[in-house]
Amino acid sequence: MQFFDYIKKEIPFIVGVPALVWQVLFFVIPLFCIVGLAFTGKPFEYFAPFFDPVFGAVLVRSLIMALSNGLLCLSIAYPLTYFLAFKAGRLRIPGLFLLIVPFWTNFLLHIYAWFFVLEKNGFLNTLLLSAGIICEPLNLLNSWFSVMVMMVYYYMPFMILPLYAQFEKFDKRLFEASLDLGASWLQTIWYVLIPATMPGIISGFFLVFVPSFGEFAIPELMGGDKFLCVGSLVSYCVLSAETASYGAAFTILCSCVLIIASVTIYWLLSQAIKVRA
Amino acid sequence: MISFKNSIKKIVTFCAVAFVYLFFYIPLAVLVTFSFNSMPFPSPWTSFTLMWYQELFSTPYVWYALWNSFIIAICATFLSLALSLALVYMRLFRRKSSMVESFFSLFYVNLIVPEVVLGVGLLTFFVLCSVPLGLMTLIVAHTVLGLGFAVPLINGRFAELDIRLVEASLDLGATVHQTFFSIIVPLLRPTIIAAGLLVFIISFDDFVLSYFCSGTSVQTLSLYLLSMLRTGISPTMNALSTLLLLLSSILVFVFCWTTFSSKAQE
Repeated sequence: MQFFDYIKKEIPFIVGVPALVWQVLFFVIPLFCIVGLAFTGKPFEYFAPFFDPVFGAVLVRSLIMALSNGLLCLSIAYPLTYFLAFKAGRLRIPGLFLLIVPFWTNFLLHIYAWFFVLEKNGFLNTLLLSAGIICEPLNLLNSWFSVMVMMVYYYMPFMILPLYAQFEKFDKRLFEASLDLGASWLQTIWYVLIPATMPGIISGFFLVFVPSFGEFAIPELMGGDKFLCVGSLVSYCVLSAETASYGAAFTILCSCVLIIASVTIYWLLSQAIKVRA
Repeated sequence: MISFKNSIKKIVTFCAVAFVYLFFYIPLAVLVTFSFNSMPFPSPWTSFTLMWYQELFSTPYVWYALWNSFIIAICATFLSLALSLALVYMRLFRRKSSMVESFFSLFYVNLIVPEVVLGVGLLTFFVLCSVPLGLMTLIVAHTVLGLGFAVPLINGRFAELDIRLVEASLDLGATVHQTFFSIIVPLLRPTIIAAGLLVFIISFDDFVLSYFCSGTSVQTLSLYLLSMLRTGISPTMNALSTLLLLLSSILVFVFCWTTFSSKAQE
């Protein structure tokens, strides 16, 4: 009887257990599986081939791509969010809505849509030709340009949303007070607005930076074969059984690089705040 | 002079903002336009046609892939909602346990870990356990991703609820069950709907996890789109894209509507 009482008392806990089991079984254990797979065999056997300039270049390329994507998104999203939050008035919500709506569609579809714009006979070339800016169609696809355009296009909402959330919290009277006290508009932006919206900047930056480091569909489809990135390399390795261990090892290597890069950037950003304050 | 400067400023701002919106919408506009063009892409606009839609409706692969994606998304949505509600149920009666709280923070990690890493991990896990890849593995993978959104959303809302309501309900003689189902769930309903839609859309559009966990037997919408992308441009794909855009716009509209109307109620 005591046993049943005990069970009855613990029912809420028992109800919650499947969720925890699910999380451990299908999230925590798989992550450990990667580690296990990479470290089987001779120690560091599967890591060795990746300490090669070729793979170093892949890593650096992905890092540059992720970093420039984060910075580009920030530099476009920040003024835009400023406009939406402070100047757009009643159009605020619809404006935000319009920026987010397209992104709930399959993102391969956006890549497909950009083909029509960037193709040799596509929209952009036709426009530039008819405006007389260029004399012959440009090769826009399979270049850094097309990759970055697509990356910025796709990741922009991840920057806008946290920024906007932070802007909403910002007390506009601070802005007015700063202007009243004689600071110029630029000074106000630099010394009042940016420090106040720093949490949004940081979370937006990492929401863009982290996934774009592992991105593989965009560089592969927009960049052709010239832009081998971390994500593509990992997927090539992992999807065939013979190289799966190498893929796992490379995944761990990339994760370490990503963590180090993120921590460094975070440290730099927080140092920047301290110096200014 | 000042008004002249101001109007210049206004025009420049307007142009910049308009440029960003054009950047977002021109590709989609071009895409939709070419789904109605009677000649395939490189040729310019000729005449209006619904031919490609007809062709789309007579392609069985598309509907097979769509159906798979739909089933996966529905299952993932229900599983992640059920599991996150179970967690709420657990938390309702074990508020002070720090172990439980640390379990909750575990779910936030789902969003931080890059999807590629999660995909690789799940793939190795399934291969190690010799689980055949297919619909089941896809549902499992998408549920893990969905939990990363559903648990923080629903638990966040639950934490905002007035705990006195629960106490009042229990004081007045309701059982644990009754309190959960007639107090907590109705209060959480807008959030549950919003989280459900979010998980559904994310699962429906997910590419990376599907790419790793699908094996060779099952095709989802994303994988179908990928194979179409690799073969090149075809107007039926434009027709499909147009329909998908329409569908997701409706879903997002419902999502925003439920979120905003629940906010307005407060």
